[in-house]
Amino acid sequence: MAQLLLRGIKKRFKTTEVLHGIDLEIGDREFVVFVGPSGCGKSTLLRLIAGLDPISDGQFFLNGKLMNDVAPSRRGIAMVFQSYALYPHMDVYENMAFGARLMGLDKAEVERRIAEAVRMLRLGELLKRRPRELSGGQRQRVAIGRALVRKPDVFLLDEPLSNLDAALRSDVRLEIARLHREIGGTMIYVTHDQVEAMTLADKIVVMNEGRIEQVGSPRALYETPANTFVGTFIGSPRMSLVTVTREGTRLGIADGGSLPIDTKLDARALKLGMRPDAVSLHRGQGGEGFHAQVVYTEYLGDNAYVYVRLADGTLLSARTAPNDDFAPDERVSVTLAPGTAHFFSAEDGRRLVP
Amino acid sequence: MPKLRMTGRGLWITVLVVPPLAFVALFIVYPILSAFAYAFFDWQGLRRLDFIGLENFHTVLFVEPYRSWTLNAFRNNVIVFFALMVLQNGLGFILAYALWRELPGARFHRVAVFLPVVLSTIIVAYLFKLFYHPLFGVVNISLRSIGLGWLAQPWLGQSSTALWSLIIAQAWHMVGFPTLVFLAGMQRIPGEILDAVRMETESEWVKITKIVWPLVAPSATIVFTLLFVGAFNWFELPYIMAGLDGSPFGSTDVLGLYFYRTAFGNVSAGQQDFGLGSALAVLIFIFIAAIATVITLRLRAREIQL
Repeated sequence: MAQLLLRGIKKRFKTTEVLHGIDLEIGDREFVVFVGPSGCGKSTLLRLIAGLDPISDGQFFLNGKLMNDVAPSRRGIAMVFQSYALYPHMDVYENMAFGARLMGLDKAEVERRIAEAVRMLRLGELLKRRPRELSGGQRQRVAIGRALVRKPDVFLLDEPLSNLDAALRSDVRLEIARLHREIGGTMIYVTHDQVEAMTLADKIVVMNEGRIEQVGSPRALYETPANTFVGTFIGSPRMSLVTVTREGTRLGIADGGSLPIDTKLDARALKLGMRPDAVSLHRGQGGEGFHAQVVYTEYLGDNAYVYVRLADGTLLSARTAPNDDFAPDERVSVTLAPGTAHFFSAEDGRRLVP
Repeated sequence: MPKLRMTGRGLWITVLVVPPLAFVALFIVYPILSAFAYAFFDWQGLRRLDFIGLENFHTVLFVEPYRSWTLNAFRNNVIVFFALMVLQNGLGFILAYALWRELPGARFHRVAVFLPVVLSTIIVAYLFKLFYHPLFGVVNISLRSIGLGWLAQPWLGQSSTALWSLIIAQAWHMVGFPTLVFLAGMQRIPGEILDAVRMETESEWVKITKIVWPLVAPSATIVFTLLFVGAFNWFELPYIMAGLDGSPFGSTDVLGLYFYRTAFGNVSAGQQDFGLGSALAVLIFIFIAAIATVITLRLRAREIQL
C-alpha cells in the first residue's frame, strides 16, 4: 500500500527557487513517470520524495503520514540511481544484503528475499562478483535487486536507462514493466525520454521549469495536451505549431494558403498544433492547404518523415508513405485530417476546446 | 640491433637525469652502503680499526648497558608509533570526515588543520616547549585559571608525562597530513553512493565503518606507511624538546637520538663510536624497510577500484 500526496512542494537552493509549488497525488501500485527537459526539476522532486534533500516548503504525505522530516531510510522508499551507485567493495550478494540487514531482518529472511530477487532478475551466476566486473545492464539489474530486497512501498528510479546503450535500453524497459506487474509496488520513474514515459507509465507527469504542466495517462497527454509545451514534448517527431488567423470558416497563414476548419472558437489568432501522422502533403500549390517547401526527408523503412517549411518559416513534419519521394525544394500543399487539429491560445499557449 | 646513439632528445634526457641521480647516489646510496660497511669495523672516534664481523651488532643488541638502552629506545618508538596511529591518523580520519561533511566552518578549518604541517619542526618544538613550561606555559596557566591547578605539572620534566607530551606536540604538528589524504580519499567517493547509503541507514557509524572507511582504505596505505617510517625515524622533535639524552632519565629516548648519541657522542659524554652507531643505523634501516614493505603489501591487497 502506498499513496503519495504532495502539497505545495517548493524547493529552494539558497535564493534560487527550482520547484514552485508542486501538487500531486499518486495512487497505490501506480507507475508514474516524471518527464521533462533537463533542468525542469524532475530529479529534484524525486530527491525530495526520497528524503535526500530537505523540502523547503509544502508537505509530503506517504500513506497519510507527514514525511517532511523523516529520514530517507525510514520512509519505506527505495531508489535506483542513474549511476547505479553499487557499493564497489561489496560483491553482488553483499550489495543486496547490506540494506536488508540494516532493516533488522533475520538471516533467513534476508536470504529468502535475495533468492527471490535473484530469481526475478536472473542474477544467479553473478552473486560473487564485484560491481566493476559487471556490464552496465548487469549493474542495472543488481541496483534494482538491491531496491527489491528491501520490499519498499515506493520505488524511485532516476533515469535508470540513460547509461545503457540503445539496444539494451528497450530490453531493460520491458524488464522494468514486467517487474512492476510482478511486484506491484508504486513506482516513480524519472526520465527526459518521452518514449520511455509513454511506454512505461500509467500516469505521466510532464514538468517544465519547476512546475507541473500536465498529469495524465499517456493517451490523454497525446490526445489532449493541456498546452503547447506538453503538445510538442509528447510524441515523436514533435507536434508542429503554426500561428494562424481565422477568416470565417478558414484558418490561414499570411500569404501562405489556408484550410477549412469547423471550429466554434471565436479568437482571431490561434496556435494550430498538427501531429505528423495527421498531416498530408500534396504536390503543387494553389489548391487547398498551406503552402510549403520540402526541406528534407527522413527515411525510416516502413514510413518516412518529410520536413517542410511553411510560408511563415515554421518547420513542419509530415508522415508519408516510404515511396512518396519528395525532392528537396519541391513545392507542396499541406492539409490536415479532419478532427485532428489541436488549438492553443496564441497568448499563453493553453489548450482551447474547439 | 638498435644503435646506441646520442640523439638530441637522448642528450637532453641525460642532462636532466644525471645530476639528480648523482646527487642521490652521493648523498643517499653511498652513505647507506658505507654505513653497512662501517658497522663491521672497530672504531676509535673517527679512526677505523680492525674488521670485527658482527661484533658491533652483538654489542648493541646483547651487551649491557647497550642492550637496555636499545630496548628502552625501541620500546619508546613502539609507544610513539601506536600513540600517533590513534592521535594522528585516527584523529585525522575524524577531522577529515567532519570537513568532508561540510560541518559549519569547514572552509576555515580545512586550512587551519593543515597549517601546522607547513611549520618547521623547530618552530613547533620550541612553541610546545614554551606551552609545557611548568611556570609560564600556557598549558599549566590554563589549567590553573579554570580551577584545575592540581593537574598542572612539569610536563617535560617527569618521566611519566614527558614522552606523551612530545607525542601530543607531534600529533598536533602533523595531524593535517593524514586529514588531507583522507579528505581527498573521501572526496573521490561518488555522491550517489552516499545517497544510496542514506536510503538504507541514517547511522553515521554504519556509514563510516561499512562504506566510507573501506572506500578510503587506499589512502590509508600511504598514511600508515609514512607514519610507521616517521615514528621509527623520529628525531627532530625529541632532540629539540628533550635533548640528546632523551631526558628525563631516558624516558623520551628513541632510536634516532640513541643512534646519534652513540655515533657522534654528546655534550656530557664525549665518547663516540662509529661502529656501534652504524650497527644501530643498519638495524633501524632493516627493521623499517622490512616492516614498511609488509604493511604496504598487506594493505595494497585490500585496495578497491572506485
